[in-house]
This record gives sequence, structure tokens and C-alpha cells, in this order.
Amino acid sequence: MDSIFFYRPPEAAVPADGPLKGMNIAIQPNVSAAGWPTDAGSNALARFVALEDATVVERLRQAGASICGSTRMSEFGFGLDGSRAGEAIKRNAAHAELVLDLMGESRLAASAGDVCGFKPSYGLVSRFGLIGLIPSMECYGILSDSLKNIREILKAIAGPDERDFSLPDETTPDFSPQNIDRGKTTVGIIKEAPGSLPARQESLYRAAIETLGDAGLTVKELSLPDFPLFLPVHKIVGAVEASSCTGRYDSVRYGVRVPGAKNWNEMYLSSRGAAFGPLLKSYLFQGTFFQFERYDAYEDACRIRARLVAGMRRLAAQADFWAIPVERGGPDAPASLADTYAQFALTAYANVAGLPALYLPPAQGRPHPGVQLSGPRLSDARLLALGEHLLNARRGGNA
Amino acid sequence: MMEFEAVIGLEIHVELNCATKMFCDCSNRPGDKPNMNICPTCLWFPGALPRLSREALEKAALLCLGLGAELQPRSAFDQKVYYYPDLPKGYQLSQAHLPLARGGAIDISDENGRPRKLRIHHIHMEEDVAKLVHEMEGRLPISLVDFNRAGAPLVEIVTEPDFRTPSEAMEFLKALRTQVRYVGSSECSMENGTMRVDANISVRPKGTGQMNTKVEVKNMNSIRHVGDAVAYEINRQSADVQAGKVVTLHTRLWDPDKKVTLAMRGKFEGPCIPDPVVPVIELAPEWIERMRTRLPEMPAARAERFVSQHGLSGEEAVFLSADPEVAGYFEALIGQGVSPRTAMHWLVTQLIPAVKDRGQELSGSAVPPARFAALLNMLARDEINAHAAREVLGQLFDSDKAPEAIVSALGFRQVSDPDALDALIDKVLAEQPAAVADVRAGQGKALGFLIGQVMQASGGKANPKVLRDLLAKKVSAAS
Repeated sequence: MDSIFFYRPPEAAVPADGPLKGMNIAIQPNVSAAGWPTDAGSNALARFVALEDATVVERLRQAGASICGSTRMSEFGFGLDGSRAGEAIKRNAAHAELVLDLMGESRLAASAGDVCGFKPSYGLVSRFGLIGLIPSMECYGILSDSLKNIREILKAIAGPDERDFSLPDETTPDFSPQNIDRGKTTVGIIKEAPGSLPARQESLYRAAIETLGDAGLTVKELSLPDFPLFLPVHKIVGAVEASSCTGRYDSVRYGVRVPGAKNWNEMYLSSRGAAFGPLLKSYLFQGTFFQFERYDAYEDACRIRARLVAGMRRLAAQADFWAIPVERGGPDAPASLADTYAQFALTAYANVAGLPALYLPPAQGRPHPGVQLSGPRLSDARLLALGEHLLNARRGGNA
Repeated sequence: MMEFEAVIGLEIHVELNCATKMFCDCSNRPGDKPNMNICPTCLWFPGALPRLSREALEKAALLCLGLGAELQPRSAFDQKVYYYPDLPKGYQLSQAHLPLARGGAIDISDENGRPRKLRIHHIHMEEDVAKLVHEMEGRLPISLVDFNRAGAPLVEIVTEPDFRTPSEAMEFLKALRTQVRYVGSSECSMENGTMRVDANISVRPKGTGQMNTKVEVKNMNSIRHVGDAVAYEINRQSADVQAGKVVTLHTRLWDPDKKVTLAMRGKFEGPCIPDPVVPVIELAPEWIERMRTRLPEMPAARAERFVSQHGLSGEEAVFLSADPEVAGYFEALIGQGVSPRTAMHWLVTQLIPAVKDRGQELSGSAVPPARFAALLNMLARDEINAHAAREVLGQLFDSDKAPEAIVSALGFRQVSDPDALDALIDKVLAEQPAAVADVRAGQGKALGFLIGQVMQASGGKANPKVLRDLLAKKVSAAS
């Protein structure tokens, strides 16, 4: 159990009365909880202790939840190397987990852990107190066995926060349970999304789509020829933002300084050199390259990103939701940046476009993986309702 | 010998006088004890997020409107990436691609009195960086960082390269300072570092339209130093070009003691990337209009009004309107019934020097307009003379009493009653027969002597005008 958790508080605070009373929620050590070691999985923040609570921690506790510990994570949450996300639920050590989703980590962790995983719309949940990496794409994913838990948690943490000005001025969705109309709800299949899936993944995806029909949903084929551009856009924009975002880890004000430097340039080089692991370093190098050498490519990527967002908005006029395979199947232990990206080829779109996405595990006895569902921005409540509808249909219910 | 002309553009950083820093609630007091005004946001601790200050945006917008620049409906912050210990996150938040305002101009007169319009290219907001202090710890050189200034709100005014002479640069800066003080966004003191000026200078053969490689000059801490540094740099570059040397792009520091510029470092230009965290600033037309209604009457308009409404000369009007405090005080005196000429004269020659001598500021000094006006009105009614008025002014600084009470207490009330003066005059005439004879012989000087004698006998209280008339009449009547 200890190897799952990075930190468990010696004594949990007495939970407040609220809708989440009795719920144990695990976070990751990139979420600030005052007094907790918060290293975001990186040497850059070794022994760093958070000064104040993140907005999500404050709101979860106010809603009655107990924050039971933080689980081991990959460096700054990039990829899943070293992450134990999803395991606390499997071992009954938590009812739910918050897992940073930079390009699909929470959905893939849910898939690996055989639980539900939800990535909310960008801008729905305050990032105050989150030690992030890609400000315009990062999001707390929520993992749990139960979609009801996910909905209650999201209801507690979503909404405006005066400490996070980057939240758009929008109406927070109503998270009360709602029905999905059989026969009136369309799920789109984006033709270009799967690309060339390996045969096994392809047949599982087809099978998953069939169950949509069984649940009374209309399945419709859609086309977005640009879909394969989501990943390269993520590579460039995400890396550039990550490079800027980690500029603060310079060993001047906090973090670990390598002694012996003759001047501050040397101090930067040696301290930052020791701060980051090999995968993150290559990611940051990539971002720095686009910042300093290929700014034009970065600008192109930003333009294409806007086009992709518009493209998904067009698809939203043609279907209520989308079903997308969640993984292509790749190396289990990614060693390089390229391997890491390959894992997230089918999930990064939601981060690039700021869309909500839900991973639903397969029905009992059916082979992995399940299916990924997505919808327009701020359709979070309806997407969760769709998930509940599908789970209900599996149980033979007639929602 | 070839004649050169200079092409000069200025980059002016103005520190806004906001209560807080630009992206957090820390006090905007860089001069406090080091590292007193800091928080997780301005130290960029993990998990901190910037929150743009409304006051900073408003004061920046007022400054732009005051300089005639056009506020942009959409502006945004970028990250200026470089690594230095004074920059707590590896980038400075600045508006590189979409500035807050574009355009604007300042009207000045050149050395020959000809009007010149010097254009502003754009005005953007940015955050200040920390202050580095280099010390020795025994034999080990150390660098200390004071983050009080980190995140302080700045605007940068970037001009077009419209300037040709050092004097134009100086006149522009004086006018800019006046206008920014008017809108109340900053004190604009180069001495205190709330206005910092970099000058970009290149030279070209006179009459050509070339834009040659420019050199940036920094580290001037007064407007005069800007003029001196620009003049030095023009001469230096002209001599270099004359000698066939190539001017290279670099930065130079002004050395105020040696009065020279010295090469500093190759100019490093890091990339500027749109910041994904600070929201894009969208200014609604109604908001801009609301800001415009908050603009005060600007100095040029005020000076014109002083000429037309109060009959001041152009020069007097410009002088009085240059400082909003002085101009406001002047108008307050007029509001209390003081004539414009008396108000101007006594304000400039007596009150301002007296306030300065006592190390006070005009606003909040011990002599508010109402008290000073009461004194000047007694002078206008001939109740006291100018000498007494100067004495009473000195007393006003040390006493809470009304000017009337001080005049009475000191017995300064002027004697204008001819009967009371007659006796004194008769006595003096009797004592000074020689002087009386001189006056009758046509020696005007002697009349002054007699006036002085009577004034002395009156204890300085005789009304000099009444006295002179009576005395002149008496001396001639007796002949």
C-alpha cells in the first residue's frame, strides 16, 4: 500500500457535513494541501511543502470529503511513467482519485485500473494550487468506480474561483441527474479518429459502438480530416508551455540548489540539470527549441489549434456526443518521448480542444479496453448522464 | 566634413502608483525593508496564479488616454523568456504582441521655438523585476535578491524614432511627466526610479532617410542626463562613422561622473510567447468612455484657459499648469477672490519657495489655499502692506491662527488714516529741515528718505501710498 501512496497524513481531519461525507479521496502530490509534501513527482521540488490549500482541496473538504493521501505520480504528471493512479481505488484505499490530465493520463489510468475516468471541460475547475505543466490544457481528472461519485465530486469542485482569473466567465453546468432520451440522442463516430488501429483494438471498438446502439442511441458517422493533427499540435504547444511553466524551478527561491557553481549561470545549469528527469528534460528541450528556434512552427500550431476547436464545434452540430477509442496499444513501458506520445494519440484531442471526456470500463467479463466518450465544451453533466445511461443499460435497465 | 543628424527613439518605463502589485495583493512599496512585500504569487511558488489588478489596468488606461493613445479593444500578456535571478519564473509578463494602446503624440517646441509633434508607437503594460544587490561575504562575492519590486506595475511607452536632438528628447520627457502626473498614474520621477528612460540612437548623413544600426543607452537618472547621454552618443557615433568604423547593435550605460557612455553587453532578445494564464483583456467601448470621463483637463488645455480666462502670459500659463498641484492651488486662490496676477506672483515668488524651504509639499502644507487667500485679500484691501504680508506668511506655517488674528496680534494692520499720519509727518519734517530743503531743490532721493523716516516712526505700519501722497503735498505746500 505504501508504494501506492507518496504521502498519507498521520491523522485525517474530521470531515465537514456535506454531500461527500464519508468519501475518501486521494490526490496527487501536485495538488497543494497545506503542510503536505508536494513535490509533483519531481526532484525540482524535493522536500517542498505546500503553504496553502488548493481550491479543489478546500472545496472537497467543505463538501465533507476526507483527503486520504497523495499517490505516486510521474514527473509533473506528464505521461504515466512512475504513476500509481487508479490503484488506491482498486485496493479500496480511496473511493475516488484526482489525477492530472495533461494529454489523457486520467483516462488511461482509469482504463488500466478498470474504473471510470472523467476529464472535465477546460476552465470548469479552478487550477489555483495545482502544480501544473501545460496551463492551457491541464485539468484534474476524476477516477472512481461510481459515476455518481464523479458527479458529486465535480459538482463540489466546479465553478468560479476568485483566485483563478483564467476561468472563463461562463455558467457552471447543472450537475443534477438527468435522463438521456432513447431514440433522440446521437453519438458520432469520427471516421478519422481511430486511424489505423491494430486489429484487436479495432474489433473491440466496433463492439463498444454496438453496445451504444443496444442502449437506444443513434450512431452516426462523422468526418474531421484534421483529427490526426491534434497530437502534433499538442506536442508543440504543450511543450512550449511546459518549458515556460518550469522556468520558475531555478533554485533561487525554493527547490534544490546544487552547490559549487562559480556564477549564477552555472548555478542554473547544474541545479536545473539535476532537477528534471530524462523524459521531462527531453520534453522541455523540445519546448525550448520551439520557443527559441522555431517560433513560426509554434504560431502555426496555435492557428491549427483554433481550427481544430472550430472543427469539433462543427461536429457538435451533427451529434450530441462522440465515441472515440481510448488506446491504440503501444509499448507498455514507454522509454522515450515518442513512445509516450504514442500512448496518448487518441486522448490528447480533449486537452487541445478543452473538451470533457469520459472513459467507461467494459462490461463485466468483456475484454479491455472500454470506450471513450466525449462531447462539446461544458456538456459535462450530460456526458456523465450518458455514462450512467450506458451502465444502466448494461445492467438490463431501460433508462 | 560630412554633416550628420541623429535618429532617436525613446522607451520609457513608468511605475504606476497603485496600492498593490500588478498580479497579487502585495503592497506596491519597493523601497520598504527588503522582501517585506512578497507572497507566493510574486515569488511564483508552485500552484500560484496571477490575478491582474483592476487598479493597474485603470491607471494604465488613464495614462494612455492622457497621452492621446488609442486603447485597443483586445490586448494580451506575453512571456518574455530569459533566465536571471531577478526574474522569479524565467519569463517576464509583458504585452509584446497585443499592446494596451497604440498611437498618441506629445506636442513640444524645438530649440527654435517651432512646434514639433513627437509620436508614440504604442504603450504596453508589464511587471517589474526584483532588485539585485551585490555584496561581499568575507572574501566571497554574493548576490542578494530583494523581491519587493518584483511584480510592481509598469507601463512602457515606446515612441516613434521622431526625435532629432537631445533637447527634443528632454522636452518630450518633461511634457510626458507633466501629463502623466495630471492623470495621476505616476509621479514620474527619474531620480526616484518611477520613470526610467532608454534611448535608441543612430546617426545618418543629414538629409538622407536612412535608418542605420541603433545603439541603446541606459542608466540615466535625470532628464538632464538623458540630454547629456544622447548628445554624447550622437558625437561618438558621428566620429566613428566619419572614421569609417561600423556601428554595431549593442547597449551602452551612461556614466554620470565621467559623462560618457560605456559598452555594456550584446543585446539579447529572448522569444515572446503568448501567456496562457493571464486572460486576454477585452475593453468594451463603454468602459473606455467611462475612463475618458475620468480624465482631468490636460495641461495644454489648462494653460490655454489660464491665458484666456485669467489673462496670464503664455509663459506664465505654461509654468503654472505644468504641475497639477500648483495649477490647482492657483485656481483655488482665484476661487477665494484673489486676482490672477497677485495669485500667480505670490504663489511663485513666496509660497512655493517657502513650502520648499520647510521640506513640505504644496498639497497638505500648513498653508492651504483658504488661509493664503485670506492673507492676500488683506493685502489687496490695503489692510497690510507687502512687507507685513511676507512676515505673516512665515507665521502661518508655525501657527494655527487665522491670518487676520496674526496681523492683529503683531500690530501689522496698516495705518491709512491721514489724521494719524499727519502728526508723524509733521514731526519728521520738523526734525529734518535739510532733507526738506533738498526736496524743494528738486532732489527726488530726499523724498524717499523722508518717507523712510515716517515709515520707521510708524513702526512700518504706514500705508506707503497714502503716506507718499500726504508727504509730497505737505512738503510742497510749506514752500
